[in-house]
Amino acid sequence: MRTGGTLPLTPIGVPRVARRRWISSDAALHAIFALTFSVTAFLILTPLASLLYGSFRTGGPGTHAEYTLRNWLDLTSSGVIGTLVTTCVIAVLTAVISTACGGLMAWLIYRTDFRYKRLLVASVGLSFFFPGFILAMAWVILASPGGIFNDILSGLLGIEFLRFDIYSATGIVWIQVLHITPFAFFTLRGPLLSMDSSLEEAAYASGANPWAVVRRITLPLMLFPLLSSLLLCFVLSVEQFAIPALVGIPGHVNVLATELYLLTSFSPPNTGLAASVGLAMSAVTGLSIFAQRRVVHRRGAPTVTGRGYRIRQLSLGRVRPLAHLACFGYVLLSFVIPAIALAYTSAIKFFVANPFEAAYTFRNYQQIIDSPGTVRAFWNTLIVSGGGALLGLLLGTLIAYSTHRLKPRGYRVLDVLSSLPFGIPGIVIGLGFLWSYVYLPIYGTLWVLVFCYVARFLPYATETVGAQLVQLDRALEEAAWASGAHRIASFRRIVLPLLRPALQSAYFLLFIAYFREIAAAALIYTASTQVLSISIWAFFENANWGVASALSVIATLITVTLMAAVMRAPLRL
Amino acid sequence: MGITVKNLVKRFDGRTIIDHVSFEIADGELVSLLGPSGCGKTTTLRCIAGLETPEEGRIEIDREVVFDHRAGIMVEPWHRSIGMVFQSYAIWPHLTVFENVAFPLRIRRLPRADVTSRVTRALDMVGLAALAERSAQLLSGGQQQRVAVARAIVHSPSVLLFDEPLSNLDAKLRDQTRAEIRRLQRELNVATVYVTHDQAEALSLSDRILVMRDGVIRQAGTPQQIYAQPQDMFVADAVGAANFFDIEIRSIDDDSLQGIAPDGTTIRAFGRITTPGPARVMVRPDRLRIATERDDVGAPALNRLHGTIRQRLFLGGHFEYAVAVGPTVLRVFSPDEIAEQTPVVVSFEPRDCILLGPDDAPRQGDVTAWA
Repeated sequence: MRTGGTLPLTPIGVPRVARRRWISSDAALHAIFALTFSVTAFLILTPLASLLYGSFRTGGPGTHAEYTLRNWLDLTSSGVIGTLVTTCVIAVLTAVISTACGGLMAWLIYRTDFRYKRLLVASVGLSFFFPGFILAMAWVILASPGGIFNDILSGLLGIEFLRFDIYSATGIVWIQVLHITPFAFFTLRGPLLSMDSSLEEAAYASGANPWAVVRRITLPLMLFPLLSSLLLCFVLSVEQFAIPALVGIPGHVNVLATELYLLTSFSPPNTGLAASVGLAMSAVTGLSIFAQRRVVHRRGAPTVTGRGYRIRQLSLGRVRPLAHLACFGYVLLSFVIPAIALAYTSAIKFFVANPFEAAYTFRNYQQIIDSPGTVRAFWNTLIVSGGGALLGLLLGTLIAYSTHRLKPRGYRVLDVLSSLPFGIPGIVIGLGFLWSYVYLPIYGTLWVLVFCYVARFLPYATETVGAQLVQLDRALEEAAWASGAHRIASFRRIVLPLLRPALQSAYFLLFIAYFREIAAAALIYTASTQVLSISIWAFFENANWGVASALSVIATLITVTLMAAVMRAPLRL
Repeated sequence: MGITVKNLVKRFDGRTIIDHVSFEIADGELVSLLGPSGCGKTTTLRCIAGLETPEEGRIEIDREVVFDHRAGIMVEPWHRSIGMVFQSYAIWPHLTVFENVAFPLRIRRLPRADVTSRVTRALDMVGLAALAERSAQLLSGGQQQRVAVARAIVHSPSVLLFDEPLSNLDAKLRDQTRAEIRRLQRELNVATVYVTHDQAEALSLSDRILVMRDGVIRQAGTPQQIYAQPQDMFVADAVGAANFFDIEIRSIDDDSLQGIAPDGTTIRAFGRITTPGPARVMVRPDRLRIATERDDVGAPALNRLHGTIRQRLFLGGHFEYAVAVGPTVLRVFSPDEIAEQTPVVVSFEPRDCILLGPDDAPRQGDVTAWA
């Protein structure tokens, strides 16, 4: 601080900030919080309350009906119990296998001399954003009794005993594992990366061999993250609607989500029983999420952040090619082969397994452009995803700022409310809106979908923005206040620009989630509010695989492009 | 009058953080709030800034009431004429150095030309004029600290508030910046509150020091007063190294007294007291003289303690000795080199031996009792 001596900062009458009396900033904040709270409560509680109401009614929404306990008593019927057992078995298998695969991949990447680390992480990211219902369709094309895989096995190679029927419980688990493994990978990656590597190095220094280190140090320290991953994968599997709908219903394997759909969509509809099934299902997922939260709070291993030390990389030796094969084999099965199968199916006239016998054409793509219904579904999807994600982001940001910074009275309630959708399956939220929108003036408009999606994916926004907000030094905002900027100006000029990376990520995440959502939409779409995912599904169910595949290819391209934006966004600031 | 704080009370979750604190700071005066973490010094500063709302009391800045719980006045921070330097500097990473410093002016909608000239002058004063267009993310800790200071002074606030501004700098930079802050504050001639837990900072920077503990001001005074005449053990400890021992007071004069140390040595000390009896006195290590028994001839038999050197540490400018006197160990600073295990005589002037008042809640380990 060389002063130079000649340039004293004489007070030249900086004008004091005029006290704006038109509205005290406290009152404005209270109003904003009250609005945020009411909107959130409305969005989350309306479907839940409607479901509860519906579960005690003899008839569907909007019909003349009476109160009854029958729907709850029917839960104990053997059919529902059987479905519950099937659901849980499938979910447990999916969770265990996905967590094992995801954990193994994370360990290979962050603890060994696995060669193509960056490529693998990027590929797993691709699989992560590949929509589940498109993956399921691709696997139907590949492994249904008349699909490519079986055709090659029996037709070309004459091997009958290896035939695989995707329309089965095994098929559901297979596709779900492919779909959910990336989630397990990304859940376990963080804890493994932030774990203090000197803990493992100390074990090496004490004379332990690599296997002993994994067994006695790494695994025990990763216990809580592994548990957390298991619970989350379990919930994802129970929630899963598209995969069991595409491969389970044809094979007469029903899980709770598809059962609920069948109860609602086929006559005679039993929306009352569907409501009680949905609530029971939410109880299962809600409890799992609650348990997962408890696990996360108990934090296992001591962590270090921002240390530049790299842990010694374990040499895989002769096992290395095997590791490469396994990991990239996964990428092939979960993304590359399905994508190729879809692209192939979209470009041929009639489905034949052998690409050399196929007649190639663009008519499937032409048909998309020519069909007004499909074009409309496209626009609907863009409106709901683009505009809806903006609303979701706005609400999520207001909630995150309220619960992390303002903390007015009632903020804990808001926190709990906004994280509730974590534990409610999409199809159940859809059913809740089905039960409630009949009574609201938004019936038959896209607003139903927007409200439903905003509610369903609210935690995506609050968690992403909240995580960044927690990391922002509170003093950055206080320094703006001390510099004369009132709360709203400080938020606009300091907090908002600093949150920009998180806001961008959250927006794209929401966009992708809304874009590919099918479970919540399945029950509440109407002819005029059809969206892309529903169109694809409808074409596929009508055995029009060509158009369904063409639409899937377009949807996948859009998703992957957006994913690239998500991956890049956090790097900017 | 720069700042007036009256009977300030602040509680968090039922715990009293500030307990009826009052003080005044004149224009151009720099006052340090000194104390250990949790003593309420930062909370006091944040109350002045308006970042915390106190439960009781009254705060005036430039004679304008900014808080009064009786009158129900709470002026928000953005309406107070303050400049504040945060411990973390709080430099906005999405703005350039220039825009960081210009922020208080932009918020006040100053004409563009004035903004440029003021920001340039402020950056000049902290020696960062060359970095104006640099992104704030690319600054070192020391540079960030200067930007924070420039931002705090650019709008010529009525008061400057520093919240441990040097605690994140390395030792050498800290010494340098300390001197510069002092010079800048002199030049601006603005009432300044400086929160620190570093005694050297408080002693060297301040016109006055308020030593705080458990939300209460234990002693207020100039650095010299606080250092030379602390009123209790806590204050003595807060502003420098100190030796304590207990004596039995036998006779009392106007402003001095005579007592007996447990080993029988006669101690003459400085301080006012009305009744004889047990008391505690303090001597700073740099006020103790140390000499080998052989060299120590002809001195009066007053304030002379016999001991043995247990340990010697070379600190560059002087040695630090640990001298065992009976069961107690005294710290002595001396430029003279004497070997360990040498029997020595430690002596001091009566005016350097200060009688301490009762310490309400002596922390364990504080007392080097002359048991």
